[in-house]
Amino acid sequence: MRRFFSAFWFAIRSSLQNFRRNLGVSLAGVCTMGLILVLIGALALGTHLLTNVLKDQESRASKLKIYIQDGVSLADIVNFQHRLQVDTRVLDVSFENKDQAFQEAASKGTDIATAVTALGSNPLPASLNVDVKQLRYLVLLDAVARSDPIVDTTQPTDYNPDVTPKIQAAINIIEAVVGFVSLMLLVVSLVIIMNTIRTAVYARRTEIEIMKLVGATDWFVRWPFLLEGILGGVLGAILAGLVVLGIYRLVVSLTAGALFSIPFDGLFTLVVVAGLFAGGAIIGAIGSYLGVRRFLAA
Amino acid sequence: MTIALAHRPALASDPALRPVISFHGVGKTYASGTVALRDIDLAIYQRDFVFLVGASGAGKSTLVRLLIRDEMASSGRIFVDGQEVTRMPRRRLPKLRRKFGIVFQDYKLLPTMTVGQNVAFALQVTRPGQRHLRQKVEETLWIVGLEDKIDKFPDELSGGEQQRVAIARALVARPRIFLADEPTGNLDPDTSWGIVQLLLQINHRGTTVLMATHNREVVDLVRRRVIAIDGGRVIRDEQEGQYLREGEATI
Repeated sequence: MRRFFSAFWFAIRSSLQNFRRNLGVSLAGVCTMGLILVLIGALALGTHLLTNVLKDQESRASKLKIYIQDGVSLADIVNFQHRLQVDTRVLDVSFENKDQAFQEAASKGTDIATAVTALGSNPLPASLNVDVKQLRYLVLLDAVARSDPIVDTTQPTDYNPDVTPKIQAAINIIEAVVGFVSLMLLVVSLVIIMNTIRTAVYARRTEIEIMKLVGATDWFVRWPFLLEGILGGVLGAILAGLVVLGIYRLVVSLTAGALFSIPFDGLFTLVVVAGLFAGGAIIGAIGSYLGVRRFLAA
Repeated sequence: MTIALAHRPALASDPALRPVISFHGVGKTYASGTVALRDIDLAIYQRDFVFLVGASGAGKSTLVRLLIRDEMASSGRIFVDGQEVTRMPRRRLPKLRRKFGIVFQDYKLLPTMTVGQNVAFALQVTRPGQRHLRQKVEETLWIVGLEDKIDKFPDELSGGEQQRVAIARALVARPRIFLADEPTGNLDPDTSWGIVQLLLQINHRGTTVLMATHNREVVDLVRRRVIAIDGGRVIRDEQEGQYLREGEATI
């Protein structure tokens, strides 16, 4: 046990000493790590905000108005509404009668009163307003509606086959671009960090060589470098966390009161900061492990 | 398989006098195709002091590196203290290397550490939790005559003093075998002689010493066992030998 604690203490002390002795290289590593983590954090933040905006747009677009024929009994309408509500693709269904349709049209500034006067009755049909879970279900539910006998045959729904695929395509493209950029950034960051750590390890190859020659075990050689890598990663994460949080707060304060205001999401912030710390520590450890392995194998 | 011992063959059957180091048909060919050593047979015993001589590129350093498994032999078998180095699993190499104290021509001292820290380093990384560390370091520095330099940094010392620090670092863990690869290569004749005297003193305390060198004056003055290597082969193995055989112009 005494040997274990001594070895552990040696590794901690040695990693701190090495960090201090090679301060220039160490700080360069921390800054590189910090910059990469800022990019990753900013991307996570941007993706989160963009996803929220997209979800909002998707939920607005994911609505289907099913028009009901005049003269259909309330029991048939309730029956159809119930069938739609138990459909797993549907979030919610609400009924809008002819009067409510008239008031809604009037509230949007449509000159519906003139039409009612000319026709002698309200031409607007009653409808079932369906919120679907995903945009792609609209076309399927449109087909369900068209096959039901209570639905208006002249204009069964407000589904526009031209608009929905365009919105869906836009969402798909944005998601693909964000995914690709994230992946590229991750690969590039790993390569840069590993090279930075390798440079730091290379500067200490004599030390590794001596440790090997006098009979230190591979893990004894590795531990100080791993701890140093973790230390660099965590310091980089602190740097990145401060910058990302600063940017986030700035965006929140700049958009406050605007049409598309972005609220401060405390839980998400916590997740990002924890992710940066874990990411910094893991990348630092992996980079050091790979960097030292090369010299241990030599 | 017949084991050809180049030295003391009559005593090979005596278990108390088993060789601490033995090479049996050892060869080393690098990936580039360069043959560094071929068919080496030799045996070195406890308390031996052996000069390994030969021109640059003869294979002396390769032989030293094969012993500590810093390089892997291409053929043959090497034994250290009865253990076969050539088939040893990697995880057992640290224990093998602790049997050796090793010094090189370029000292390999850590410039950011003091003399005392450099010497202590060898114990800290192999025997964490070692008691009386400072005392052991001071004792070892006293043996090499540098007890008053414990807090100096390597760049404050002369070449000879730096090599003494390297010797102290190799000695502090009390190795069974001392390997010195061209330890006087960067030193003037007087300083070289001081280093060799130190190695003789270490040998006198019971440690086997193998010194690779092409320092002719030192070898001829000390008159200990000489193993000469040329073109990767052992061409001569003599007790109380000289750098060159009589009449030879070069090895």
